[in-house]
Amino acid sequence: MATANMLLMNPLAPAAAELAPEAPPVEVGLVKAALEGDRDGFGRLYDLYAPLVHGILLARVPRAEVDDLVQDIFLHAFKKLHTLRDSAAFGPWIAMIARNRAVDFHRRTRATVEITDDLRGSDKQQSKAAEILELIRSLPDAYRETLVLRLVEGMTGPEIAERTGLTAASVRVNLHRGMKLLRQKLGTTEGL
Amino acid sequence: MNDDYLWDKSGKPDPQIQQLEEILGTLRYQSKPLNLPRRRNYFPLLAIAATVVMALLTGGLWLQLRSNEASIPAVAIAQPTNPPINPPLSVSTNSPKKRKRVVVNREHKEALAAKQQLILALRVASEKLNTAYRRTQTPTQIKNQHKAG
Repeated sequence: MATANMLLMNPLAPAAAELAPEAPPVEVGLVKAALEGDRDGFGRLYDLYAPLVHGILLARVPRAEVDDLVQDIFLHAFKKLHTLRDSAAFGPWIAMIARNRAVDFHRRTRATVEITDDLRGSDKQQSKAAEILELIRSLPDAYRETLVLRLVEGMTGPEIAERTGLTAASVRVNLHRGMKLLRQKLGTTEGL
Repeated sequence: MNDDYLWDKSGKPDPQIQQLEEILGTLRYQSKPLNLPRRRNYFPLLAIAATVVMALLTGGLWLQLRSNEASIPAVAIAQPTNPPINPPLSVSTNSPKKRKRVVVNREHKEALAAKQQLILALRVASEKLNTAYRRTQTPTQIKNQHKAG
């Protein structure tokens, strides 16, 4: 009953219902179709998982590099899709590729200075967003990823758990602790 | 702090989280088309290769058939030479080379005879055509002479 009420109140209810454990995973069919040469199937996987990959990268690499890396990761995934053993684990698999690619990026480009939106002279909200993102990036790994997925990409906790392969409990804890740390950091800087 | 809103956006919204969502939402993923590499189309190459292979096979088959055809009459003609009608002296030997030479000589004579007959037939046909042409031409010439006269 509580779940039903939650679904009624939540504007993302259809997405949440789709991600419920009872529902057949959409990814399985899409991965199978993509493996059989259906490029549209892989296109749908891209549509579903691009925000996740974008969020994971945004928590780790400079913003200017994120879009290109998202494309690179999906191209890599397209070529290596046959190595995916469990089709239902597409999300955790591509999330791991994204994290590894972020590590590779930092190995290759050691001394990089991100050109912030301040330097580019864009609007105030963009520069504020860049500042807050920097604060989130200063948090421990587990917290920053879940916070970016929640606050930037607009995913809910259950969605984050489903797509990254983490347990709902650990996502909840990461969100709670990460938000607490972020509030502390925001308290030390000027208010929002 | 309202934990439910942070967790699944349910319950009473937290104003600070809402403000963060609004600000950070500007960095959200903007949908872009994925440029997958084009699949290489091997069909024209395969078609060309298949055509070449087929041509080679056909050529090989044709050559083989031709060589078989050339060898079969030699044997067929060579066999009746055992009881020859006008047996040349060389036929009595069992040497394949000599047998073949005999066959070739005979074929040559037959070909010459056929050629003579063909030339004769052509001459006859030519004469007949000339005659027919003259017959058709003569009355008109006479007519024309009459008109001219």
